[in-house]
Parts: sequence; structure tokens; C-alpha cells
Amino acid sequence: MTDNSYNEMFEPTGACRAHYDAYQRWLADTPEELLSRKRHEADLLFHRAGITFTVYGDESGTERLIPFDPLPRIIPAREWAMLEAGCRQRVQALNAFLDDIYHDQHILKEGLIPAEQVLANPQYQLAMQGVTLPHGIYSHISGVDLIRDGNGRYCVLEDNLRIPSGVSYMLENRRMMMRLFPELFTLNRIAPVDHYPNLLLETLRSSTPTDAPCVVVLSPGRYNSAYFEHAFLAQQMGVELVEGQDLFVSDGRVRMRTTAGPRVVDVIYRRVDEAFLDPLAFNPDSMLGVPGLLSVYREGGVVLANALGTGVADDKSIYPHVPAMIRFYLDEEPILDNVPTWQCRDPEQCRHVLDHLGELVVKETQGAGGYGMLIGPAASREQLEEFRRRVKANPAGYIAQPTMALSTCPTFVEAGIAPRHIDLRPYVLSSSQGVRLVPGGLTRVALQEGSLVVNSSQGGGTKDTWVLEDNPTSETSSC
Amino acid sequence: MQLAVQHCTRYRYEHAARSSIQYLRLQPRNGPGQRIDAWQLSLPGGSRPPIIEDGFGNLMQVLVLERAHREIAIEARGLVTLTDRFNGRRQDALDPRPFLRPTALTAPDGALARHHLGRQRDLAALCTLQQAILAAMPYTPGATEVWHSARDAWAIGSGVCQDHVHVMLGCARLMGLPARYVSGYLHSADDTHLASHAWAEIHLEGGWQLFDVTNGLTQPTHHVRLAIGMDYLDACPIRGIRRGGGAEVMAAGVRVQYAPTDQ
Repeated sequence: MTDNSYNEMFEPTGACRAHYDAYQRWLADTPEELLSRKRHEADLLFHRAGITFTVYGDESGTERLIPFDPLPRIIPAREWAMLEAGCRQRVQALNAFLDDIYHDQHILKEGLIPAEQVLANPQYQLAMQGVTLPHGIYSHISGVDLIRDGNGRYCVLEDNLRIPSGVSYMLENRRMMMRLFPELFTLNRIAPVDHYPNLLLETLRSSTPTDAPCVVVLSPGRYNSAYFEHAFLAQQMGVELVEGQDLFVSDGRVRMRTTAGPRVVDVIYRRVDEAFLDPLAFNPDSMLGVPGLLSVYREGGVVLANALGTGVADDKSIYPHVPAMIRFYLDEEPILDNVPTWQCRDPEQCRHVLDHLGELVVKETQGAGGYGMLIGPAASREQLEEFRRRVKANPAGYIAQPTMALSTCPTFVEAGIAPRHIDLRPYVLSSSQGVRLVPGGLTRVALQEGSLVVNSSQGGGTKDTWVLEDNPTSETSSC
Repeated sequence: MQLAVQHCTRYRYEHAARSSIQYLRLQPRNGPGQRIDAWQLSLPGGSRPPIIEDGFGNLMQVLVLERAHREIAIEARGLVTLTDRFNGRRQDALDPRPFLRPTALTAPDGALARHHLGRQRDLAALCTLQQAILAAMPYTPGATEVWHSARDAWAIGSGVCQDHVHVMLGCARLMGLPARYVSGYLHSADDTHLASHAWAEIHLEGGWQLFDVTNGLTQPTHHVRLAIGMDYLDACPIRGIRRGGGAEVMAAGVRVQYAPTDQ
């Protein structure tokens, strides 16, 4: 699959792409042994800083380091401008869609999306019916997963509107690169990303009409795979990191227990899954949430970022409709393309999927993190038959897509520098001040040769992502 | 016909609980077939939390006790006039389609579904289904616990109204029919159903058709509606949690009588 993939650094002729020129000259002068030493140094530093994550389903339950690759992924300014506009457009449309389906449902009445597919979707949150949110923003923090096909064309693979994670790696990877290779940052004009925590805090503060709001980060606790990130972001923003037991509800407000007595909380950046947020409304066994939270939220007494019920918009069965949302709500043509998708809920499309199972990627509509997924060309006969059974038993639970090549980027592996498949997740912040991104995002890399699964839960690594600045005046734009 | 309703619930704890919070859905609404003439709630310490609406349009209140307590007593009482004898099929503004999805409490197992699913999706077929459910799991107070799912109750082979409704909802949704849980009160002459009652509503031909599985009814007789939801957890009159307190003893009693002037 590597053969027909788009190589980020080299033209098919073998010539280096212009935006990699300066880096390539540096790399040519740098012995591999130095890279090896630097990567080892990075591992030690990451370990010491406690930047680890837990892999679910790993019997030993041990914390693992997400492998850091010392070779950056580089994006030229013009390309980034297009990606930024495309992500912004997409997230605007998705927020408009969420506001619509929990209120007047114009898009369903127009028949642009089958109503039953939205309303009967388990991610459609009944508790959000009749709730009006400040500025109509549901997904304050969105992670848009982008890949590049064989021609280098960017496509959106999925929108993450629930609890997108990984931004701490974007920030830490940059710090690590600056520490390991400071000279690279004078050789290249690289757009900074370190203002992300400031932008995030601004986004959270402006999500409520309250002046000088109290913002907290709500984490499920230290056993969560992303606990490091929760602690990191709280510390970077200078706000409290809390768990469910630190908060309680009284007199229609959420309060935080502090040594100086209870304090009203206005905005909760919640990294707890919505099913666990209020045991009196959702999963009754949850120990991670705040009993009574939903009653306060519905009355506007607290802002949750992200809102409840965003999952219906990033559900894989709704994904094929995002281009229609962009046209309907924004009256614009989509800047970023979708990956072609077959919906198994449609008998004809399902037949096509079952006939071509060996060529396709099949995903559970509600799966995430690379779990519950079949990559046809890499699957064994048993795996194919297993998925055939599952799709037949519950067609509406699956979609299929062509096996996308995914672009490759030179990566430092055991055998030296070799191409490995990558994707890109920019983080998109929505607030009353507009939709904003820091340049770049998180580049994930599939470290095994030929592998297309970049998820850290499946053994993927990460790279620093550079957006090159063309001219000194370009800045993070907002609209 | 006017009914006088009195619903008392009392929780006693082994030790003092440090704090507790309850979602109360104990406030019936005016609607087709019922008019609330008077209604009041007595809560601990005379507390009067504001009445808010949940996502289903139910009225609810949040009772918070932030001091040590060994007991919570909640009493709801009021007068309800059952206005007209409609044919058991209600119209309302809620979109039926969200009620198509299964929940953890209602999802039936395959054997149950195969056993009961008729090919027809009409009133007659659903009446047969409701009779079959009652025959397969006769009304037996104490046979199941409140947290038991449709599958659990089906396996036990008996149950109370909550279990009957969950099984009925699970089957209806599997048949592609929107179905919802209704909690409420029922006046019955023999006084056998002492706790609050529950029945199902299934969306048929543009309206919500009542199925009182436990009593084998498709016409409301003396049914007072309290709340609706996907299952028991959404619609139950009291759902709470507490910190501390140890073991709990709960006692509940419901009396639904003809109002004095109406006898």
C-alpha cells in the first residue's frame, strides 16, 4: 500500500518537496546515531514527565509511552490556510446541525437527512430537547481527523465532537522538538502552537454569559487513559482539575468543595463521557459524575464543554451527510472532501459491502479509537467471516469505506528512516469569538510497516507538526 | 370522575446520611384525559424546590439535603379529574422516533423476541402479545428488584408492572414501533397494586396507544399519568443518591380513591 501512497516529503521523481528543503539539508548533515540518541533522550524525558496513557484491553493494564518520532511532519502555509478554512467551515456546520436537530429540525423537515437516522440514533440525546445553549455552541472543542489520498488530496475521515483527546501531545511534541533540535527552529519559520491553552481558556470563559466565570476541568480520575492530558490542560490554563466527588449540586448550581468553602462553578470542561455525567439521569451506577448535574445544565446554571448530545453529529452513519449540512446551513461548497462511505443500513449498499469485504474498511457506526474495525486487505479469512456475520446481523451498525492509502512521512524506525502512514488531527475551538485553530495539530503515525492504524490505542506514535509561515504577518486568524 | 391521590414514600437509613439528592417526578400535568385540580408535595424541612421540565416534558423537582439525616419522607397528594373517556390513544407534540431505540432495561433477549414477535403490528397483535407476556410472567410482588431488566424478569418468570412494561417496550421497539414507559397511579377496586403503577404506550396510527400489561387493558379506566420516558429510570417518581447512611429501608404507599364529592 505504501507504493501508491502520497509521500509528504518526496515527489514521485525522488526530488524533495520545496517545503521540506531546509529540513532535508539538515537531515543529510545529521548522523542517524544522533537521531537515535535524541529519540532515546525524548523517551526518558517523556517518561520522567509522566506523559503516558493506558491501553484498554491490555491485560497488564500498564501505562505506556506513546512513541515519539523525531522527524516532523511539515505543512506549507498555503495548504494550512485551506485546511484551516475547511475545518472551520465543517465545525460551524456541525454546530448548526446540532442546534437545529435539538430545536426546529429544519434539516429533517427538508428531508436532507432521514429523520429516523438522527432521532432513533442512540447518540441523539433526549435530555437536550428544549435546551438552548449560549451562542448555540455544542462542540466547543472538536478534533477533525484528516488523511491524504494517493493524490495528496486531504479528506476528512471523521469528526470528533465528544471528547477529542491528544492535544497535550501536540504541545509536548513541540516542546520536545525545541529542546532536542533548537537549531531547526532557526532554520525554518515554524508557526507556534504554545498559545493553545490560552485559546482554550478563552473559549471556555466566553462559553458562558457570566463575568469572570469559574472554569474547571472534570476528569474521570487517574485510571483514565487520558488523565495526564486532563491534569496538563488544567495546569496550563491555571484552573482546577476536579473529579465528580469534588462537585455537588445545590440550589440549582454546581459547587466545588474547596478549603475556603463551596464555590460556584460556571463552566465544566468535562472529560467524562456523557453517560457517566449524572447518575440520576444516565448510567445509575456511575461514580464519576455529579448527581443532579443535568437539572442544573438544562436550566442554564452551568456550561458543559462539550455539550451533551454531540455524538449524534460525529456518528459514522451521520458523517456522509456533513457536506449536505455545509450547503444547507452555510450555503457554501465544502472545502474538505469526505471519504466515500457505504451505509450498510441500505440493503443495496450493504450487498456491495459484503461483496467487496476484502477491499474495504468496515467500521462500527458508534466505534471510536480504532476498536471494532475491519481492514479488509489486511484481514484473515476468519476475521472477514466474523465481520460478515456481524454486518449481516446488524447492518445499521456498520459503514464501509474504500481502503484509503494514507500519505506517508519519513519516520525513524529500527531499520533507519523509512516511510510510515500518518494522519492529522487539528483541534478546532468554537466560541462567541469565532472558530479558531492553532496551526497544525496532532500527527499520528502507524509505526509498523504498511499499517494504516494510527490510533495510539493500537500502537501508533506521534510527530511534531510544523506549519511553515510564508510571511511574517500571517497569524492565527479568527472569524 | 375525580380521584383523590395520596402517595407517601419514606426512606430510613441505618446511620445518618451526610447528604442526598433526589430527582422527583411527582407532579402530574394537565393533558388529554386528565386535569389536575389540586396537587401538593410535602418535602423534608418544608423545602419547595422550583418545578422544572426534563427532556420528555415531565415536570420535576430536585430535592437536595446537605445536612445529616436518617430519614426522608415525601408525600404527594392531590385531586385529579379524568375528563373524557378517549379511546386510549393520545396525541402529543413529542416526536415518536426517539422511542424506537432499545435501552439497557428494555432490550429483550433473542429467545424472548422470537417467542413473541408476531408478524402483525396492529392493535390485535399487540393485545395478544400483552396477554402472552402476562401469562409468561404473572404479577408477583417481590419477585423482582427495581434494577432488574426485561431480560432478568423474563428469566425469573414473574414480575411487577415495571417488568411487564419493560418486556412490552422491548418487543414493540424490536418490531419497529416507538414505545414509551408511563408511570402513574391507578385506582382499582381490590387495592392489590399498592405501589405506584406503570404501563406502556405504543405509537400506532399517529397516536400513543395505552397498554396496561399487568391489568390486560388497552383502554384507560382510572389511570393518572405522572411521567413518561424510555424506561423506568426516566419516568420513576423518585430517583436519588446519597452519601453515607448504610442500609436503607423504603416504604411506599399509594391510595387512589374516588374524591368525596364524586362517590
